[in-house]
Amino acid sequence: MKHAAIRRGRTGADDPLRWVVIGGIWILLFLFVLYPLACLIGRAFTDDGHVTLASVAATLTNPNHLRALRNSLILATLVAAVGTLAGFLFAFTAERTNLRRGVRRLLDFAALLPLISPPFTTSIAFVFSFGPRGLITHDLLGLQNAQVYGWNSTIAAEALTYFPLAFLALRPLIAAIGSDLEEAAYSLGGSRWQVFRTVTLPLSLPGLANAFLLLFAASLADFATPLILAGNNLPVLPTDAFLQITGMFDLKGGAVLSLLLLVPAALVFFAQRHLVGRRSYVTIPGKGGGRSQAARLASWLRYVLWGACIAVAAFIAYLYALLVYASSVVAFGANSAPTLEHYRVIFTEGVPAIKDTLIIALISMPLGGLYGVVVGYLVGRMRFATRQALEIVSMINYALPGTIVGIGYLIAFNDAPIALTGTAAIIIACYVFRYSPTGIRTTVALLQQVDRSIEEASSSLGASGLTTFRRVTLPLILPAFFAGLGTVFIRAMTAISATIFLVSINWTLITVRILENMTELSLGPAAAFSVFVIAVVVVVTGMLDFALGRMTGAHLRPSALRS
Amino acid sequence: MSAPTSVGITLRQVSAAFRSPEGDDVFAVRSIDLKVRPGELLTLLGPSGCGKTTTLRMIAGFQDPSAGEIRIGDRDVTHVPANRRDIGFVFQSYALFPHLTVYDNVAYGLRIRRKQVGEIQAAVDGVLSLVGLQGLGKRFPNELSGGQQQRVALARAIVIRPRVLLFDEPLSNLDAKLRVEMRTEIQRLQRTLGITTVYVTHDQEEAMAISDRIAVMNKGRIDQLATAEELYRRPATAFVARFLGRANMLDGVVRDSEAGRLTLDVKGSALAFACHKAYPVGTALCAIVRPENIGIGKAGPLHGEVVNRMYLGEKTEYVVRVADLMLQIVRYGTSEDVGFSPGERVGVTLPSTGVHVFEPGE
Repeated sequence: MKHAAIRRGRTGADDPLRWVVIGGIWILLFLFVLYPLACLIGRAFTDDGHVTLASVAATLTNPNHLRALRNSLILATLVAAVGTLAGFLFAFTAERTNLRRGVRRLLDFAALLPLISPPFTTSIAFVFSFGPRGLITHDLLGLQNAQVYGWNSTIAAEALTYFPLAFLALRPLIAAIGSDLEEAAYSLGGSRWQVFRTVTLPLSLPGLANAFLLLFAASLADFATPLILAGNNLPVLPTDAFLQITGMFDLKGGAVLSLLLLVPAALVFFAQRHLVGRRSYVTIPGKGGGRSQAARLASWLRYVLWGACIAVAAFIAYLYALLVYASSVVAFGANSAPTLEHYRVIFTEGVPAIKDTLIIALISMPLGGLYGVVVGYLVGRMRFATRQALEIVSMINYALPGTIVGIGYLIAFNDAPIALTGTAAIIIACYVFRYSPTGIRTTVALLQQVDRSIEEASSSLGASGLTTFRRVTLPLILPAFFAGLGTVFIRAMTAISATIFLVSINWTLITVRILENMTELSLGPAAAFSVFVIAVVVVVTGMLDFALGRMTGAHLRPSALRS
Repeated sequence: MSAPTSVGITLRQVSAAFRSPEGDDVFAVRSIDLKVRPGELLTLLGPSGCGKTTTLRMIAGFQDPSAGEIRIGDRDVTHVPANRRDIGFVFQSYALFPHLTVYDNVAYGLRIRRKQVGEIQAAVDGVLSLVGLQGLGKRFPNELSGGQQQRVALARAIVIRPRVLLFDEPLSNLDAKLRVEMRTEIQRLQRTLGITTVYVTHDQEEAMAISDRIAVMNKGRIDQLATAEELYRRPATAFVARFLGRANMLDGVVRDSEAGRLTLDVKGSALAFACHKAYPVGTALCAIVRPENIGIGKAGPLHGEVVNRMYLGEKTEYVVRVADLMLQIVRYGTSEDVGFSPGERVGVTLPSTGVHVFEPGE
């Protein structure tokens, strides 16, 4: 409207502080986002200082690598399809069937677990369940030497790990469609199926496509699951690149392989931006509408939906129960005498990894939270020439597969001018710039809900720009700060794909230890480590939630932010 | 609690231009001159997009004028940021701080001014009772009704005793009843405090109810600045006539013009009325006739047919066809007769005073 056009406002255009901040953020982005990426690309395309396509050509003609690329793409497509379907099923059931509170909690919890676990928790549980000595394959079905490794289990494990992303993305969308559009369609005489086909589905389509891309990118980048479950017959790019570097000490080959990942990842990134940037038909209202539409689902359909969701949730619960069980028996599948031996192992031999991980996570957390809020504020409220560029660059490390980021850091910071290899700083920097975009996005979203007139009100009452930021804006985006803290902490505790290239004798990570345990087939300690990580994450995120609740209280419900 | 001494506001040749996506300069406000008298309540009235809110935001300092000078009292504030202009601004959206209680919202400006705790307490309590919100200090904004939120916004703006109070369509989010109640309240407070006030609204009734003077804005310019009565009785332009109250716009040609009397030929019907200005015979003019000035009865000089009738309690509105004209006619009072029904033939009397003419395009 008229304000949008005219409101170029005077939000402190002459404030020198903001130029310092913008300049500082750009320096950081150049250093920790663009420079490593440039180093990676440079390494792949040069040889002894000459620009050459030789290594790229060699990789592209190597049938093994081509197979890995093809596998990666097929795997990502299938995982995205299955995961989006499961996410839609969960979201639709949660929003459209009058679930009892207990059941709703169960679904939420089942969808939350994979999000806060180390990425290969599901894979480990799959081995326990379907492996040669697996609970189902060996004990229940009596199969000898069951083959868990390969396509089926990799797809299933990744879909289970990533479907919560689709669930979270689709749920608000379906809630919004439900409120009145569907009722309007019913009132015009549409049948249930017609309404679903002509209203619900078309309106969810952009959301479904977005969820698909989200999962495609996640699976494409997934390193841990294939490493454990894919086996020798299913090479994929991230594991291929990892083995090239750690197994064959071929940094250049690894760089080239990871760059093959860059192409589909970049395509997905821009497709997603396009989708999200496009004007959506569905606006999310502040108030939740009534749930009267639940009555309109046929009861048999409701039972089918419940059954399907509960089955998935129960399966997830079963996998995690198996993990806990495996961590507390002497030898899974062979000796089921209860023991705390595995926990004794991780709290003695595992202490360095635990200590390192906690130190790194606790340092990354506040840095990442702060960085997310600052960048989010710049992007969401300030007007400056490089704003859009800054926004895109700040998302790069998040959008890139961890393998690329890890190898890029490895090449960039191995020697002068910035030699960080072997330090905690390199791992912390990796986490901060890779996992803060959640905080950035949340900040931008919250700021969109805070009417600009609230800041103008403060200004009209005599407050300077800085005072307004400190006393009004900052408290209002506090939830975003906490969301940023939570995400960075969770990822710092659970991530592996990028940082596996960055660990050293001095600084190692729990996730890396879990992987080592898996390859040494010491499954008990691996399970115990996983349980420990999940417990820490649950405790810390719970504490963050509590602190946020104490600091803001009920009056900061989003509806209040609409002023 | 009254303002020390009221000050005036002066706008001299103030413009607001912005760059359109096509790269053209588009003017929201075109070099307007405006003098707000000390202590008065002046309303900027006009339709959406007329530039009234932009003008108000320039006075507040939320937006820089592209040209011109703004003075508050003797002080040139053209390039002074909003937080140093000493204003109180009441927003359409209330813009209460959602994370602060009612008390803290109201105390905000005083704390910025580093007042003593005791002084703040006294001032906040005083202003809360002044707006009728005593005892609600511990509530949060989302625990209040719309009307209460607006009162908090009002209290927050006046507690700092600003030199100037600015209102941006403050009542548009309230329901009709509350709107009437609140506008009386705003008028009462403004009179009590004597703070020079600029008030923006698109609601002509609201403007007429509370303002000392009204500036009617149209396409970035001020068409007329006068009291409500003056605007209604002697509109300076056709736009003002149409915007304030309802009007029949009758296109006609001068048939006769003599000695303070003008006769127009309006699609065959003669319209004769007092007019101090003379026009050559044959001039095309637009005459504005208020609906309440047209008589309707069983018999009259003109014959018409009732097309539509709307009973509104204290008045009845008719649409009557007279030859080729469609006339809006309003009849006030609870007369004994039941009025006229659609299809009924009636007599219509055009007024001989209170008619205004404009040359087309004026």
